[in-house]
Amino acid sequence: MEKDQVFMGEGLNRAAAVQAGWNSCSFGMEMETDELNCVGSCFLNPKWHNSMDQSDPFESALSSMVCSPAASNAGSTNFPASGDNTMMTDLIGKLGNICNTGDISPQSLIKPPNNNNNCSSNTSCYTSPLDSPPKLNLSMMGGNQILKHPSLVPVSADPGFAERAARFSCFNGLNAQLGVTEAEFVQLTRVSTNQSIMVTGSQVHVPDSNKNTLQDGNSCSDKRNSRLSRCSSPENGDSKDESSISEQIPGVGSSIKAQNDANARKRKSMPRGKAKETPSPAAADAKIAEENDESTAKRSKQQNDSAKAENKENPKPPEPPKDYIHVRARRGQATDSHSLAERVRREKISERMKFLQDLVPGCNKVTGKALMLDEIINYVQSLQRQVEFLSMKLATVNPRMNANTEALLSKDMFRSRGSLPHSHYPMDSSALAFGLRYQPQQGLPMNNGISNDTQVQFSMNPANAALHKTQGLQLPPVDGISDANPQIGSFWDDDLQSIVQMGFGQNQPQSCQS
Amino acid sequence: MNNPHHLNPTSLKSRFTTRFLRALTKIRAQKPISSSSPTEIFRRYRRIKVAADKSMAYSVRSRRIWSRAMLWKLRSRSYRRQDPCSGRRFGKTNQAIMKKSSNENTTTRREDGVGFVEEADELRQLVPGGETMNLCNLLDETAHYIKCLTTQVQVMKKIADFYSF
Repeated sequence: MEKDQVFMGEGLNRAAAVQAGWNSCSFGMEMETDELNCVGSCFLNPKWHNSMDQSDPFESALSSMVCSPAASNAGSTNFPASGDNTMMTDLIGKLGNICNTGDISPQSLIKPPNNNNNCSSNTSCYTSPLDSPPKLNLSMMGGNQILKHPSLVPVSADPGFAERAARFSCFNGLNAQLGVTEAEFVQLTRVSTNQSIMVTGSQVHVPDSNKNTLQDGNSCSDKRNSRLSRCSSPENGDSKDESSISEQIPGVGSSIKAQNDANARKRKSMPRGKAKETPSPAAADAKIAEENDESTAKRSKQQNDSAKAENKENPKPPEPPKDYIHVRARRGQATDSHSLAERVRREKISERMKFLQDLVPGCNKVTGKALMLDEIINYVQSLQRQVEFLSMKLATVNPRMNANTEALLSKDMFRSRGSLPHSHYPMDSSALAFGLRYQPQQGLPMNNGISNDTQVQFSMNPANAALHKTQGLQLPPVDGISDANPQIGSFWDDDLQSIVQMGFGQNQPQSCQS
Repeated sequence: MNNPHHLNPTSLKSRFTTRFLRALTKIRAQKPISSSSPTEIFRRYRRIKVAADKSMAYSVRSRRIWSRAMLWKLRSRSYRRQDPCSGRRFGKTNQAIMKKSSNENTTTRREDGVGFVEEADELRQLVPGGETMNLCNLLDETAHYIKCLTTQVQVMKKIADFYSF
């Protein structure tokens, strides 16, 4: 256990010890625990604690195991960003071993932030393979069971695995490249599950490819094959990634892959958030490398597109319209489930506000949600008042119910307004009232006076008479005036003001009484 | 303008128009508009307004929360008018239905950091059934409600114009 002590004592220097014992799985087990400790302490502890309640008992036990020795290292283990890559590769290799068992406990602890939408499926995906690794990790303390795990063998055999693993362990807020190693890491786990070494070989050069695959897998990730089959259904650009992933991983531990992807994606986002200065060119290169790797690794046409799309979409949170919504944590933003859900909500709300902005006239100039909401409220109120006014008008109007009236009416309903010459005046007269009603950002007192009180509606009877009087005035024909309230608003500004003053002058005392 | 005479028979506009016209003729058939006393006119006005709201809500059916709320309100009002006791019964069953439908869409109303709860509350009072909606759905319903209101206003304007010349 002196090696453990080495780990405990040093930061990354333990990687050297790890390197020494790299090939021995038993040693690796010990190292893994230590690695877990340092990794977890550096990176995962907060997540662990957050997700403790969600994780299965194994994870909690493991984390408790890990955290206790790691606690001492929590403060101290800040992986030096540079110069320890070799050591880090070893560490990552170890972690890869751990992950190959099904999942690393940190992964399982880093529950997907999608818990809001589809917690059960996500967590189940994450936990189901994760269940084995925690157990294995627990047994790692004994140092025997990991050897039994078959997946470790191919991983350890991978030459580039150590490098990737080392990079992976650096995801704790270090460079983006280091963060990228998560992708690699996940990719490695995927590889281990698939036992496809070609992927690993290709991945040596491009850690970022994992990211793409991860993202794809993540988007598809959930219940094992069912979800993947679902993921294969084409969606938008986001779905391209998913479909590509699903195609690539037909029924092969794909859920695990997806889970790993999700984990890696989350982890990636976390270190990204933590990394204050993530070298973007490095990330871009990594991404491009990812793309290349993906194409080579997966060998599917869509991958290039999806990878590119994924690269483009990396900064955006893709939300595939599946039965649950995958949300990516954006760079520099919190990644816990609550904030992610909050962000989703906020985006939904802003999207709807934009739609409302198109609906409500005169909203384009208004900026800010509160002001826009005020505008919307005013508009709805004005519309309701218009309905009341019109129903009052209909109540007072003397209908000439001929046999043809109703037929004419229904026909007129859908004819162009401009074709009804007589309608101009009544429309204009109505428009006067409507113009009074809805005044975007023009607080005329008449607005309040006219509409709200039903009793005031009675005073509209003489107002109606006044309105009809105004029909005699030559109002400029406005086509579609009744169709568009903004027209009324502008109309109001131009010509109706004088008319209204004339028409409503006698009625204002009455209508403003309320 | 090239507004075609043909119209989409299934559009909201046509559905509302037919229903509303039917209701209007019914209302007018009930009482001749000879009397122009304010009370009479007021009663007719109320009836027409209710008919307008009803036709609109029926045209939308139960597809929207606000239409369901409006229908429930209208029904409960009419039931209460007919039979004060049945209002209670009706209220219970329909409130259960309303709550069930609203529970699907509601989340706890809270300040989720957007910061305009007062306006949202005001909007909730305007849109029927708005009290039970979270902000997201509220905005959705508001958009549809605005669309329906504008249709309603258009149609009623046309009718009024047709009648008033």
